Amino acid sequence: MKVKKLLPILLATPLVVALAQSYFAPSELELIKTGGKAYAEVFLNQRQDQALCSLYHNRLPADLLPKFLEEQRALIKYPADGKLMGDWRKGGAIFNNLQKANCFSCHFGSPVHLGGDVGPSLEKYGLKRGQSEAVQRYTYEVVYNAWAYFPCTVMYRFGAQGLLTPEEIADVVAYLLDPESEFNTKPAVGSK
Amino acid sequence: MSLGVGWKVAVLFLLALALAQGEVDPREEAKRQKQLLLETAGILPTELIVEQGKELFNRKGPKGKTMAECDFGLGKGVLDGAAARLPRYFLDTGRVEDLDSRILTCMTRVQGYKPEQIKRQEVVAIAFYVASFSTGKPIQVRLLFPQERELYALGEKLFYARSGARDLGCATCHISFVGRRAGVLPYADVLGKDQSWTHWPAYRYSNDQTWTMQDRIRACYGNIGHPQPAHYSLPILALELFMAYQNNGAVVEEWPAFVR
Repeated sequence: MKVKKLLPILLATPLVVALAQSYFAPSELELIKTGGKAYAEVFLNQRQDQALCSLYHNRLPADLLPKFLEEQRALIKYPADGKLMGDWRKGGAIFNNLQKANCFSCHFGSPVHLGGDVGPSLEKYGLKRGQSEAVQRYTYEVVYNAWAYFPCTVMYRFGAQGLLTPEEIADVVAYLLDPESEFNTKPAVGSK
Repeated sequence: MSLGVGWKVAVLFLLALALAQGEVDPREEAKRQKQLLLETAGILPTELIVEQGKELFNRKGPKGKTMAECDFGLGKGVLDGAAARLPRYFLDTGRVEDLDSRILTCMTRVQGYKPEQIKRQEVVAIAFYVASFSTGKPIQVRLLFPQERELYALGEKLFYARSGARDLGCATCHISFVGRRAGVLPYADVLGKDQSWTHWPAYRYSNDQTWTMQDRIRACYGNIGHPQPAHYSLPILALELFMAYQNNGAVVEEWPAFVR
């Protein structure tokens, strides 16, 4: 008897938790489906962290931050060979490609394209910061998963979302940090 | 020798000019381009499309009726200010419709065209024509019917949603980075002072496009590598209703507009 009464509650509990964490209600997802299969799937598969950033309009409450940051940090993977700086030439091709990483659209500093001002300027990034292990790691991790440092920021989570491989991210780190890299030896487009 | 130097100076000057133009307010630049076009061609592309739309509007459909038999919300054949009051709920279809959807409804239900016969470019031209009767009118969109409120709420949520492989959404740029630029153009304050809702339908001179707000929303998604909602679908209508309502009271400077 007791078990019979408890069972519905036990069954309902995970459902309630799941609903509390989703951004769109099932009825809203039905309306979204009229937008077409590919469009709807993006919202049907909205990630838990995306839902939180949506729900709080990109400003997470302080009490959610520790868990959020911990989860984002856990998503970071490193190159198999452990090297955080790869080939700066390959990195440049990734950084300056609109279809690939598109970094220059938001960041100033590229010697190839005029940069935007949505993100901070990266002009002479490596010359200003050096190439210490700490700087390499920080740069790699921010590119891999910016949300581990800046929750809900506009910057793509290149590694965490599978847009770039760990090796490609190491190439971009080299492009930014290597003193030989054209990023550090040539003037940025639009530099005064 | 001196010719070579002169040529180089000219190129440098043009480059500097091009860079400087990147700093110019895109709306001011659009006005300048419009004036240039008027002086050289004597007519604007917007005027040509409106004329095309007028012809299509007055074309008889399979049922022998023109679009003057259609109700755009203010009564049969009344176009004055009608587009400035869309999107809205229509009792005859039981749906919230925007300018594009209402044209579609009119062509199918009143004129008797089959949905597959309707060309997108014709809908756009008719939208340009119908919208031209709302120049100088204030935006007046209401949330009277439950269907309107439901779509408004969905539009607001979609506007703030972070989704897709790039974690982006409308608000990510159009709230957080208004005035900043990724690429050439600064992000418009679409819910606030830029009154972006009143800029569409429009002709974009930089790439010779004739777009309604539906096309503009789809392009926004496309630019951020996000799958696009289908034309005439509810997510587009929801975003439109949300933006239009935020722009209530704003006076339409010119429809169709001439933008960068």
